[in-house]
Amino acid sequence: MSLELENVVKLAHDGLTSSLPGWAAAAIEYVLVGVLLLALYCVLALILIFLERKICARFQCRLGPNRVGPWGSLQLIADMVKILLKEIVKISKSDKLLYYVAIFLAIIGSFCTFGALQFGKGLACIDFNVGIFYILAISSLGVIGILLAGWSSNNKYTLIGAMRSGAQLISYELSAGISILTMVILAGSLNISDIINGQENAWFIFQAPLPALIAFIIYLIAGHAETNRGPFDLPEAESELTAGYHTEYSGIQYGFFYLAEYLNMFIIAGVATTVFLGGWQPFHIHADWASGFNHVMDYIPSYIWFLGKAFSLVLLSLWVRWTFPRLRIDQLLHLEWKILMPISLLNMLVMAVWVLIF
Amino acid sequence: MKKTKDIISSVASGLTVEEQQYPTITVEPKQWRKLAEKLKANGLDVLLNLTGIDYKDCLGVIYHLTSSIEKNTMVVVKVKTPDYEDIAIPSVYDLWESANLYEREAYDFYGIKFVNHPDLRRIFLRADWNGYPFRKDYDANPALNPIPLVNQTVDDMEDMPTLSFDKEGKLITKHHQLFENGEYVVNIGPQHPATHGVLHLRVSLDGEIIKKVDPNFGYIHRGIEKMCESKTYPQILQLTERLDYLSGTMNRHAFCLCCEKALGLEIPKRAEAVRIIFDELTRIASHLLGWGCMCMDMGSITAFIYGMRDREKIMDIFEETGGGRLMVGYNVIGGLANDIHPKFIDQVKEFIPYMRKMLKEYHILFTNNPIAKGRMEKMGILSMDKAVSLGVTGPSGRASGWACDVRKIEPYAGYDKIDFEQVLFETGDTFDRYLIRLKEIEQSLKIIEQLINNLPDDGFKAKTPAIIKLPAGEYYQRVENARGDFGVYINSTGDKNPYRVKFRSPCMTLISALDPLCQNEKIADLIMIGASLDYVIPCADR
Amino acid sequence: MIQYIKDLFSGIWNLLQGMKITMINFIRKPITECYPENRGTKVYAERFRGELTMPHNANNEHKCTGCGICQMNCPNGTITVKTKQITTDDGKTKKILDQYLYDLGSCTFCGLCTMGCPQKAIVWSNNFEHSVYRRATLVKQLNKEGSKLEEKKVVAPQQEEKKVINSNTNQQQ
Repeated sequence: MSLELENVVKLAHDGLTSSLPGWAAAAIEYVLVGVLLLALYCVLALILIFLERKICARFQCRLGPNRVGPWGSLQLIADMVKILLKEIVKISKSDKLLYYVAIFLAIIGSFCTFGALQFGKGLACIDFNVGIFYILAISSLGVIGILLAGWSSNNKYTLIGAMRSGAQLISYELSAGISILTMVILAGSLNISDIINGQENAWFIFQAPLPALIAFIIYLIAGHAETNRGPFDLPEAESELTAGYHTEYSGIQYGFFYLAEYLNMFIIAGVATTVFLGGWQPFHIHADWASGFNHVMDYIPSYIWFLGKAFSLVLLSLWVRWTFPRLRIDQLLHLEWKILMPISLLNMLVMAVWVLIF
Repeated sequence: MKKTKDIISSVASGLTVEEQQYPTITVEPKQWRKLAEKLKANGLDVLLNLTGIDYKDCLGVIYHLTSSIEKNTMVVVKVKTPDYEDIAIPSVYDLWESANLYEREAYDFYGIKFVNHPDLRRIFLRADWNGYPFRKDYDANPALNPIPLVNQTVDDMEDMPTLSFDKEGKLITKHHQLFENGEYVVNIGPQHPATHGVLHLRVSLDGEIIKKVDPNFGYIHRGIEKMCESKTYPQILQLTERLDYLSGTMNRHAFCLCCEKALGLEIPKRAEAVRIIFDELTRIASHLLGWGCMCMDMGSITAFIYGMRDREKIMDIFEETGGGRLMVGYNVIGGLANDIHPKFIDQVKEFIPYMRKMLKEYHILFTNNPIAKGRMEKMGILSMDKAVSLGVTGPSGRASGWACDVRKIEPYAGYDKIDFEQVLFETGDTFDRYLIRLKEIEQSLKIIEQLINNLPDDGFKAKTPAIIKLPAGEYYQRVENARGDFGVYINSTGDKNPYRVKFRSPCMTLISALDPLCQNEKIADLIMIGASLDYVIPCADR
Repeated sequence: MIQYIKDLFSGIWNLLQGMKITMINFIRKPITECYPENRGTKVYAERFRGELTMPHNANNEHKCTGCGICQMNCPNGTITVKTKQITTDDGKTKKILDQYLYDLGSCTFCGLCTMGCPQKAIVWSNNFEHSVYRRATLVKQLNKEGSKLEEKKVVAPQQEEKKVINSNTNQQQ
């Protein structure tokens, strides 16, 4: 498989370790991986922003960006340059330290989770025995950033937005976590590599169709809510709170929140792909007659599989976001605590029984 | 219920009653309070309009009172002060809640002191404004009211004065504060995406729960009524479109009708029919925008774009025949500016089935959506009594069950010959106010369908004198615009300029309904309830 | 409990229906008009009030007599008609149009000027691209340099009547 990046990674690793002492090689690798991830993070964000603008335009019978470059493809470069060049407005009565720290917390949370995703065969950066646990834990860091941003801006809108966000994220973390744990029961491991390898023959969603499908749907809803996007975009409900928790941020600070929001969308899709849809594993039909089909599927590189699955989930999320109206805060919590939570707990039980029986 | 005549005979013993367009009672301020109570008791439960007026030797207030049940009931009461000095008139805010804002307006423009009014702040102008601009002797010297060049707070708007008589009969002023100390007050507007214009709401919150809403008007006050006094009648027409720009055609229609009534002009049947088609198209356009904005305020931006997309079709029809899109400028005194465009009939016929198809999509996309339903149902309930008392007319009033469609209760311009239904709901919650607009679009399509196939062919404009001068007198005309009962009051002295013009704005009463509707609801609902009332700020501010 | 499950499923069904509608619209042709590109092909409504113009014929002649009715009709003082007295060949003094100034910046496009014009000397054009760099550029002179009044074969009697009205209103003002 010449298209796989696994060999390139291996080659680079072997080259480095053979010519340099172990610590130096490791140091260089760390830096390289970090830079690569950061680049991927930004590029993905740009692609997502462009995708969202184009797709939402089509949902609304519009063309979307079409002035800068062919089909408006350079629009996002222009936007990026604009956001980088804009003045960072200093708020006179804000809590300075928290105000500046908040954006970094938001983006660090999202970036660290991003690092734990496995983009393809052999393309795992953070891979250890409690990987899924790590993802759940580190992705909750973002809520601290949002709460601090809302509090430190010293603005009534941001405060309301942040408080809504706090309530929302903490609640939905639960059902997201439980639905992932449901799959962990099936996989029997918290290690991301183990989880993906366990799906070589059939994706988890096909291994235990009923409980896995319910868990999948619940995870998508809860994950969608965690990214603060419509119909769960209460923290930044623009018709009520102008921009919610990031009202007072400008320039690149606002850009950070923007990036984090879009990447969170991708991360949720990525985690769902990893846990439910086999990560980078190609689609296989476990039958004798289908070996030719399986070979064709194998020929598609693993990272394409991963990105393809993740992006189709992102598209689904966009479709939902541009169709539905926003919930109210009490309805939002009602949905979580009275509908999603009981169902997902019950579902976990069903999954446990399923694993015992089969 | 009694007819107007019976009401008059039972309340107005010993008072002068003139038979004008409507029976008019003229009283002194001292007699007014008693008369008002009697009128209210006799079933006149709607204070439709309150007009301040400067008679050059004294000030006056004109009340247009009507009944919410009986058709064609209207009594006009004129209260004249003895002179310029003694200008106290008892307030009637407790009899008709709509008087609350109306009296503030008359106080703002004329300085008329409404005794016992709980909240006699200026409404459109700043609290520190010198002079009363609608008085005929107003000094418009800019040096008296310089434009402030530094930031100023709005704290001065929180001091609510109340006038009352003390034991010796002297007027004294008591002050109380709008908000208590330590209340969490959030400013929504004047620059806010969801106030549909430049309305400034000050909202007192307890967590997310609303305790009190105080609307602050005047950010787009242009003094249109004052401007009218120095313009000729055809020139005023273009100002009427700029009140409620979304139902400009209807407002213009109202003013034309009022002038035509005064002049005794007979309008060609063709012009009448085309005017109705234009009115109904405007109503559809306005309701589409109202629907879209409501969806957008609930977070569904896609639905907003769909509404705008279909409204665009109507705008194209207007552009082809009238020459303008939002400010069509098609109705003139005596008929229409020019005959319909040859394409007009085809365009309208093409539009009707298209709109019906789209309405179905709207219902699937939004009306049946459980999220939308969950947010709108049983939210912001406006009872019929409250609606009547506040004077909330139009779709919002009809959603509460008040049959207040002027097209039915006081038919004008040939609406009586057309077969259509007055859509009425019962609950008066946000969902009803939402749904009634889509239902009214259907009725409007029905009206257009009846007219478009057989337009009469008797010319588009009656002969009018080159200089239009209305005979001396007072004229009032109500029409149903997209937001409610729009009224035009013209006081003419026989000159080519009117002496006083007053527009009865439906939006002002709609905004006054915000506070009672939003109490104990959440801040997200404030936006939604506001959108469901569908007010247009330039109409309220004038 | 049964009602709860029923509501849940009907809710999901209605949500999916809504998503179907947006998907239908996703496939529909976008309604966006690419404005500067379609300048050549776009058909404008012929009655659209874009800008006031004074048509001139091939001999650089216009129809404006300089009566000033449009100036009087205008609610905003957008139009200024400047006239001058000239002596014709046969010795009579005559009032003719000198400058017809139109301030686009204060025009509300109400159409009272064209409606009132007895000669139909001014008409609306479709041009809507009004943006200029300086406010002074918005004040336009509508009669071209060196243009003159189009000679009329027959003077309509109605025109005389209007002129009388015109002088009346002048006195009132």
